[in-house]
Amino acid sequence: MERQNFHKELEQLKLTIYKMAALARQSFENACKAYLARDDDLAQTIIDGDRDINRIELEIDRQSLRLLALEQPMARDLRMIVGIMRISNDLERIADQSVNIAERTIFLCQHSPLERVPAMEALIDISKKMFTMAVTSFRDMDAEAAKEIPAMDDQADEYNMQVLKSLIEVMAASSPGFEKRVLKMRRSIQTIIISRCLERIADMSTNIAEHVVFIAEGVNLKHIQKL
Amino acid sequence: MTDTIKFAVKKLDFYYGDFKALDQISMDIAEKQATALIGPSGCGKSTFLRCLNRMNDLIPGIRVDGEILLDGENTHDPGIDVVQLRRRVGMVFQKPNPFPKTIFENVAYGLRVNGLKNKAMLRESVEKSLVDAALFDEVKDRLNQSALGLSGGQQQRLCIARALAVKPEVLLMDEPASALDPIATQKIEDLIHQLKKHYTIVIVTHNMQQAARVSDVTGFFYMGRLIETGDTETLFTRPKLKQTEDYITGRFG
Ligand SMILES: Nc1ncnc2c1ncn2[C@@H]1O[C@H](COP(=O)(O)OP(=O)(O)O)[C@@H](O)[C@H]1O
Ligand SMILES: [Mg+2]
Repeated sequence: MERQNFHKELEQLKLTIYKMAALARQSFENACKAYLARDDDLAQTIIDGDRDINRIELEIDRQSLRLLALEQPMARDLRMIVGIMRISNDLERIADQSVNIAERTIFLCQHSPLERVPAMEALIDISKKMFTMAVTSFRDMDAEAAKEIPAMDDQADEYNMQVLKSLIEVMAASSPGFEKRVLKMRRSIQTIIISRCLERIADMSTNIAEHVVFIAEGVNLKHIQKL
Repeated sequence: MTDTIKFAVKKLDFYYGDFKALDQISMDIAEKQATALIGPSGCGKSTFLRCLNRMNDLIPGIRVDGEILLDGENTHDPGIDVVQLRRRVGMVFQKPNPFPKTIFENVAYGLRVNGLKNKAMLRESVEKSLVDAALFDEVKDRLNQSALGLSGGQQQRLCIARALAVKPEVLLMDEPASALDPIATQKIEDLIHQLKKHYTIVIVTHNMQQAARVSDVTGFFYMGRLIETGDTETLFTRPKLKQTEDYITGRFG
């Protein structure tokens, strides 16, 4: 009844998703760095690296389905595999959002910088922190650490709203010349989109945290307040 | 849970001579549900199952402490008619064991023992039991042929029909599909889903996926003890105890 081979394969699957998490994190950290430093070369590497992450996602799907079909895992093992499939989905979307940030960054790099929006930096900090905590709590299977993440999401939403407000003001402020006004609006809107990407990454980090609690404890945090 | 309790087992100890095979088992078995017993070989599943209709009585040197109540009545009371008990609590074994008689006579056997002589009634009962055991269509044209000519899976369903013929309330099944091929196994599992609408089923299986598929409640036995019991879905997705978790995920056993 001992299932050594299955458990070896399950460990292998975990290694694969750790690798995916590391790549997604690198992609996101670099996206933030490229945006802040206005580094379009760095931004381009994120776009180029996305294929690797997509490939790993397919690999995780393949391995997971194989184990589900052939091994009929139970209990914690079953929750682990289902959780890994969900987490890989969130990681892939985080990587997509990072690409999105990188694309906006390349546009912004071609023009002079907008005035600084402090809430944007705060949003970058908190979304980075949430994502890092989510990945770490998964690695350590630390449900208690994971449970701290959803509460941070409200703060991320708040920063996103502040960014929006600030940039609406920037856009509304009159400046001379039609061309200049259009360009300012375009830069502002690109920055608003980046802010929205960051807020989505905070959401998906929250999802990952919920999956960690599901794997560790078998309870679904999601929608629990609404039931 | 407002399920009616069919069997209430209270602090059951069971000995083969000096060997204590069951230790302080307490378990309620709900009526018209399928209860699965799982656990590594030798943990006492079959012993427990046989306690429920006192099949162990046939083994010399056994001793039973504690209580097993069937519909509130202690099955080990001196006044209990054991033959009547086994009529109410039927049993199907691992290896199909049809009698070397015709298909019809195999199913009619218990009815004849009970004194039923009316041919029409016999025939009606036999056919109904075969229908309930999902075998009738396959054998209706050869009821007077030997049961030994049936396939293993058909023989097992014949044994189920034989058990059903005397209208039991409970059906005990000890690894009923372990000697069968996958298709025959599938038929038995489908049958269990049907049967539990009308009967209380207790099934021992070494196949955890099978327990997960067919049962409503699962009990995990280990070294003569009932470690954990709970509704099947919960037990197989998030068991409470690490020992259960380790067993069902194949980390020991
Ligand atoms: N007739 C018997 N006499 C003595 N010991 C027995 C007898 N039947 C079973 N045992 C012992 O009781 C324990 C439980 O056996 P059993 O109920 O058959 O376990 P399981 O069905 O879980 O494999 C085992 O250690 C077994 O060796
Ligand atoms: Mg046994």
